[in-house]
Amino acid sequence: MSEPAVLVRDVFKRYGRRDVLSGVSLALEPGARLGLIGPAATGKSVIAKLICGLEEPDRGDIRVLGEDVVGKREVQLGPLRRRIGMLFQNYALFDFLTVERNVAFPLEQRGGMEADAIAARVAERLKAVGLSGSEQKLTGELSGGMKKRVGIARATVADAELVIYDEPTAGLDPVTTQKIYDLLTADQLRTKATVLAISSDVVALAGFVDEIAFLYQGHIIYRGPAATIADAPDPLVRQFVRGELEGPLEDVRKATGERDG
Amino acid sequence: MTWVRTRIENLGAGVASVYRAAIELWLVYVGTIAGLFRRGRNSPRGELTRQLYSIGNKSLVFIIVTLGMIGMVMTYEACMQLSRVTGDYSQVGMQFLRLIISDMGPTLTALMLATRVGAGIAAEVGSMKVTEQIDALRMSGVLPIDYLIVPRFLASWIMTLMLSVIGATVMYAAGGLTAQYNFGVNPNTFFDLSQIRPRHVILFLVKASSYGAAIPVVAGFCGLRARGSSEGVGWATTAAVIGASFAVITLDFIISAAALFLTGGDL
Amino acid sequence: MIGEKAIHNVGAGAVRVAQEVGGIVVLTWQVLRALVPPRIDRRELFKNLYKMGNKSVPIVVLTAFFAGGLMTLQAGPFVKKLGATSLAGWGAGYAVLREIGPILIGLMFSGRVGANNTAELATMTVTEQLDGLRALAIDPIKFLVVPRVIAMVVMLVVLTVLGDLVALLGSSVVAKVMLDIDWSTMYYSFVDNLKPADFLTGIYKSIAFGGSIAVSSCYFGVTVRGGAVGVGKAVNAAVVAAAVSIMLLDFFLTYLSSH
Repeated sequence: MSEPAVLVRDVFKRYGRRDVLSGVSLALEPGARLGLIGPAATGKSVIAKLICGLEEPDRGDIRVLGEDVVGKREVQLGPLRRRIGMLFQNYALFDFLTVERNVAFPLEQRGGMEADAIAARVAERLKAVGLSGSEQKLTGELSGGMKKRVGIARATVADAELVIYDEPTAGLDPVTTQKIYDLLTADQLRTKATVLAISSDVVALAGFVDEIAFLYQGHIIYRGPAATIADAPDPLVRQFVRGELEGPLEDVRKATGERDG
Repeated sequence: MTWVRTRIENLGAGVASVYRAAIELWLVYVGTIAGLFRRGRNSPRGELTRQLYSIGNKSLVFIIVTLGMIGMVMTYEACMQLSRVTGDYSQVGMQFLRLIISDMGPTLTALMLATRVGAGIAAEVGSMKVTEQIDALRMSGVLPIDYLIVPRFLASWIMTLMLSVIGATVMYAAGGLTAQYNFGVNPNTFFDLSQIRPRHVILFLVKASSYGAAIPVVAGFCGLRARGSSEGVGWATTAAVIGASFAVITLDFIISAAALFLTGGDL
Repeated sequence: MIGEKAIHNVGAGAVRVAQEVGGIVVLTWQVLRALVPPRIDRRELFKNLYKMGNKSVPIVVLTAFFAGGLMTLQAGPFVKKLGATSLAGWGAGYAVLREIGPILIGLMFSGRVGANNTAELATMTVTEQLDGLRALAIDPIKFLVVPRVIAMVVMLVVLTVLGDLVALLGSSVVAKVMLDIDWSTMYYSFVDNLKPADFLTGIYKSIAFGGSIAVSSCYFGVTVRGGAVGVGKAVNAAVVAAAVSIMLLDFFLTYLSSH
């Protein structure tokens, strides 16, 4: 049996006095598509950053694509990170570069590719996300949905073996959301990359991923098939997915309590 | 008792965070120096030229105006004082030039650049940090210090040297004009270079290059430490201005004291 | 072609500067008008006084100490060469009280308090808190800007008095340690040669500097546009404007005080 593409073992992380992750474990087989859901500010993005080595866990072990991430220096992590594609929650597009140069950036930095080949690849990616014609624009001139699509083009341009999408559809209308997920699906079928998608929009996400994990109060408390997530045995997950106000979820109780009081 | 304990705890936490910040600052400095020798594929094409232009172009008028003003004021004050005591202005130009070259020229230029350039670098890098552009750079295997700080470091170093020369010249000329216009000092007496010795010029170069190297490192460090959103960028910019200004004053003190020591008080 | 573009750039730059200066003048006028009858939100005023003082005292004390020491370092060798050690305190003290004290403390104050104030107001502006105040029929100028301007002017004067003392102490310490000039020699050199007018000139200057730092820092805070990037740029613009206005005011006040 091959090694998992992502292996997170018993990871702890605290910011200031707040425990964000307290013993998270997570494994992704190569080619798997996992969705990660959970209430706002539970540390979903933190997991994504830990996997890429952008943040260091306080305790625990992380292996990605057969390499240890924890305890490595910034320079040593470069080669591994170039095999990972990442769509950041707020796009993180370079505001000093054009759309074209943004998408070309990972290829240019990886090296070993002719300028013509890079240009062709970038044009192909921008066409795939429906942004042909915007190559020379600066990212400040784009709308939120366009920025997201540039971010997706940048994350997938280098045919990464692992792609992490942090909120790929937040703030987009339902039609665009579906278009984006169709695009991501087609891309994953082509490259067979391992995918970790983080989202709060469970319904749309469930059509894209095979499995969904639920992060709650620092732990992964549930993991199961995406298709049947609304009927998950765990009452917490059911309540979250169905958006019910009555139930065991603590932050919902607090919010409604405040409103009543 | 609990009050005392919280106070001590707060103090301890403060010392610890200053210690951590000092280590981070040191790492940025070391990383920048190492990055200078790694320059190559990682650094963006034409970035150095762009930074040189941006720092130089933005600061030229600023430096000329501020240093010109202070040159006039200083000469004016000195002549006013002398007019009350001896009325002999023959030494003013000579001593003023010595003071400009060995201290005021580079130090005042750098103090001005600490606000202009330091705040600019911190604002740019800080905005990139809070919008996760720094993380995006790292995801492409780029070292943010090499990509962002090193070109700014080189540009700031070169520009601080050049602007110090310009600033010192403007200051001297403005002083000369004031002395002639208000006190009737002969320009030939004022613009007397005979007292300038190599050690003054060396001091000028040492000071200007130390300031030029310190400003971008302190500002870059503040930018890279930015957290949160717009508040974080504001905080980083503020910290950069104060940190860079204070670094200039401290370096000035240390270098001046060392020079006095080395020359045995004969500067 | 290039010449045309350069002229265009210079023109555009001049227009921008003129716009900013105009905006600052208008804000100054609004602040002054809000002061007649003086109805100031006391709580906001005291809160700001405390916060600003608390933040800037350490940096001002350190800066003043070094600045005073530097004056002795610069004047010292010259004085020693002439054998006129009794004049060391005069040179250092005169420069500190009239020029270096107010200017350096003003610059540091602008970097610490002015920049912080810009960042705070700019963040409030980009998060639409100012519009929120307007929706409640509260004038943000009266409620936010006026107390801050008063607090900054008062605080800078207090800090200049404190900084002057520390700077004189700094120059005495350096005189003793590096140049071997006695404490008492320095003390009498200060007392015999420095006049109240020297001290007062510095204080007048600090009032003017405080006003200009305060108004420009508030101006760039409330006129900011465009998120986190805009906030950084606003702070940058505010400290630069403050530095230029300190130098300009210093020049005019020096002339005025001697004519």
